[in-house]
Order: sequence, then structure tokens, then C-alpha cells
Amino acid sequence: MRARRLNRMALFLLPSAVLFTLFFFLPIGMMAMMSVLTGNPVVAPHVAFTVRNYARIVEDPFHFEVIWTTIRIGLWTTFVALLIGYPLAHLMARVRSRTAHALLLMAVLMPMLTGIIVRTFAWMALLADKGVINQMLAAMGLPTAQLMYNEFGIIIGLVHIYVPFMVLTLTGVIGAIDERLEQAAQNLGASPLRAFWEVTLPLSLPGILAGSLLVFALAISAYVTPILMGGFQIMTLPILIYQQISASFNVGFAASLGMVLLVISMALIVAYNQMLALVSGQRELQ
Amino acid sequence: MNQLGFGRFLYLALNGLVLFFLLAPIAIIFVFALNPTPYIQFPPVGISLRWFEKFFASSQFMASLWLSLKVAALTTVCATVVGASAALAIARGGLPGVRLITAIVLSPLMLPAILTGLALFQAYVLLDIGRPLWGLVAGHTLVTVPYLVRTTLALLHNFDTRLEEAAQNLGASPMRTFFEVTLPLIKPGVIAGAIFAFIVSFDQFPVSLFLVSPGQETLPITLFNYLKYDLDGTIGAASVVSILLAALVVIVLDRTVGLRSYVKL
Repeated sequence: MRARRLNRMALFLLPSAVLFTLFFFLPIGMMAMMSVLTGNPVVAPHVAFTVRNYARIVEDPFHFEVIWTTIRIGLWTTFVALLIGYPLAHLMARVRSRTAHALLLMAVLMPMLTGIIVRTFAWMALLADKGVINQMLAAMGLPTAQLMYNEFGIIIGLVHIYVPFMVLTLTGVIGAIDERLEQAAQNLGASPLRAFWEVTLPLSLPGILAGSLLVFALAISAYVTPILMGGFQIMTLPILIYQQISASFNVGFAASLGMVLLVISMALIVAYNQMLALVSGQRELQ
Repeated sequence: MNQLGFGRFLYLALNGLVLFFLLAPIAIIFVFALNPTPYIQFPPVGISLRWFEKFFASSQFMASLWLSLKVAALTTVCATVVGASAALAIARGGLPGVRLITAIVLSPLMLPAILTGLALFQAYVLLDIGRPLWGLVAGHTLVTVPYLVRTTLALLHNFDTRLEEAAQNLGASPMRTFFEVTLPLIKPGVIAGAIFAFIVSFDQFPVSLFLVSPGQETLPITLFNYLKYDLDGTIGAASVVSILLAALVVIVLDRTVGLRSYVKL
């Protein structure tokens, strides 16, 4: 890949330029505009600039609670996904047999290619009050437990959906770490655990951060799993946004909530890209 | 040495548990789809195809399945044209600010799809467009273009421009070079991306949530509405149908172009 001067192939950018202008930048710009206007400028004769939609978010503690619930669920999901995703990513990066690698990859991709509705349904069937797990508990004479319609159920469902993203991000990063570094540490007398703790883990830190940012960004914008696993009991930001449209048709307020989610997501995306750049920078140095 | 063996065992056992966590829910769906009882029962009591019959006999499910397939097919065509050409421009056009352009065309992948849906919905309301089919397809195209860009770019970055230069040095016109060298070169990437786009569109939820018109819903929306009140085997049967579709895709992908190069995040 060498840098070339501008040529006719650049014209191939036109279709995407049109698509993104009309269906991405324009709508998002309109959303930003709607969040600071008193009404629809196309039909209403007098619209004025207002900050009342944002004031409404700030004034009502309920909205802070919703944002905090969203972030809390996102943090737990990220933490658990990292905890269970790291070992699998490590195995995938280090396994020597090509067949084993392909099988592991399929095991990770299969859930990823299964729709969110389908996977959420599977977890509802497992965790419902009369679901598989409670039926098994009851059959063994054990007390049943409330496993969904609460944040626990939401987090389990979200972890299952987003752990593949964590695994795939980490596999690349761990795979890029020279295995000989770990072996050198072991030859110098470190136990495998210590070699991992002091060599591999610190070197994979940018990958951990990148994967965590990705999973967090995805988890806070989830709609289906929180609403179904939470049994309509728990309110997160995406649920509140959709409710503003479907139940109250409050387009301006939905837009301002959307802008809050947009700003949080943009910050996360920028941080994620910085991390990835750091990772690939490291790779070039090796 | 004994301690080492134990550590290794723990490591593999832990990974076994993680894989179980990943795959067991998918397996359980098959149990429900085939289990004859109308409520969840475990262990299953038998095997029947009644839920599949109910699914395929339901006009509501069939209408939404048909709509989903139609939207996915249209989306695949649009995303392929837009995404593959964007990748060509990025890799071969010599554009200034190519990193920013790449980041922009890949951004729908990370930006919450629910925001894409909300923004498009508001724009359609403001401009009084209503909820036409092309509006839904445009939304789906937007969120699937990144897959095409990524898979096509992966191939374009693997091959350098010398192949194309060689063709031109041997006297081929730029047009002929494009059709006889560049296009065959990127074909596997475009196919892989197109398959991804189809599956992603078929399963797409947040954008559809805002953009479908009532009574004309895609399969994921119908399933969602059904799930709100009911947990019977019909959902299981519908899920199995979409899982088999996804499995088919993974196998086809692996056979045609290999999975490895498409999963770099």
C-alpha cells in the first residue's frame, strides 16, 4: 500500500457520500436541531430556540437514575465479559492446532450471528420463574430463585450477547504478544501464573481497554435485552428514548435524550479508536 | 510439575465453562422448538414438529418472514454497491483524509443503532415521508455498509497495486484492468461482506423498531411483540429457522473465503 495521488477511483466514494449525507448526517443533525427547538419547524409556524428539553433531563432526578442504571448495567456487563472473555481469547490466541482454532472461532461467531431476539428468548427460557434452571432446582428439591425481571438477568443476557466482541478484540492483541517473552520469564524462574501476570497481562492492557470500551458502548445502547429480561420493570436510557416516541410522542425530549446517548457513545468511540491505534502502533514496533 | 498440570486443567476447565455459557442457550432453543408441550419443560418430554407447523402456518409470521427476506435482499444489494465502491475509493482513490473517511463509513457499526433508528424516524416525521419500505431499506443499508467496507478493504490491503500496474503496463486499459484484475481480486471479500449484510439486516432490530409501519413488521419485531406476552414453542421454531440460516452462512463463509480475515475488530 503506497500513497497515491487522487485519481478516478475516488469517484467510487460518491454512493456512500450520498447515503451518509442523506441518511446519517442529515438525520443526526435534525435530531440535534429538534432537541433545542420548541416544535417541528416544518409544520409549526413559530418555533423558537429552547433548552427546556435539556433542563427537563437535569431537573428530574428520575433521569439521572435512569442514566446511572444504564451505566451501572454497562459496567457490570463489561466487567463480567472481560472476566470470562479473557481466558477464551487467550486460548484462541495460543492454541496451535488450526482445527481447534477454527472450532473455537465458530463457537464464538455462532452466537454473534444469532439474532438478539433469539438469544434473549433463550435466556428468558433459561432464567424465567418457571424456566429451565428453576425447574431443575425444583426437581432437585432446592428452592427456586428470581433470576430475571431484575438487573442480574439483564446483565447475564447482555454478557452473552457482547462477550464475542470482547473475545475477538482480545484475541488479536494477545496473539500479537510474542510468546517467547512469556517463555523467557519462565526460563528465568517465574511460574506460568507469574509470567502471565507480569508479562502477558500488562502487554494486553490496551486490548483490555479497547474491548471494554467496545462492550460498554454496545451494552449501554441495548434495548431488547434490558426490556425483555427486565420484564418492563427496569428503565434504561434506550428504553426511555423509545418510550418518549411510542407512548408520549415527545420528539423533542427523545431527541435531547438521544443527544445524551450520542455524546457518551462518541466519547467511547474516540477512546476505543485511540486504544486500537496504540495497539497497532505496538505491533509495528515489534 | 504436578502443580503445572493442575493449573493447565483449571485453565481448560474454565474455558470449557465459558464455551458452555456461550453455546448452551443456543442448544436450549432447539429443545424448545422440538418439545411438544406448550410451555417450557425441561427435561423435554418428546419430539414434535408442531411448532414448526404452527410457525409456517401462521400468516402473521409468514408475512413478516417474507418482509424480512425482502428487506434483507434489497439491503444486501444496496450495501454491496455502496460498501464495495467505498472500499475501492478508500484503497485506490488516493483520497486526502482517508483515515477520517474510513472512520466515518465504519461508524454505524459502533454508534448505537437505536440512535440511527431514532434520527431516521425523526427525519422522516419532520419531512413527512411516512414509513415507506425504501426508508427501512436505507436504514438497514446504513448499518450494513461497514461490513462490506471492512471485508473488501481486508482484501484490497492484502494485495498491493502492483498487480493492477502490471496489467496496465502490459497494455490493458484502466477499464479492462478494473474488470479483469481488481474485481476478481475483491470478489471473495465482497461476497463475504454481502452475506454478513444479509444476516445483519435479517436480524436487525433497533433500526426496524423505529422504521417499520404497524401491521407490516419484520420478523424480529414480530418475534419481539410475541415474546412480550408469550413464551411458547413457536418462538423456538422461528429461532431455529434463523439460527440455521446463520449456521449456513458461517459454513459458506468458511468454505469460500475463510473466516479468519473477517473477524478482526
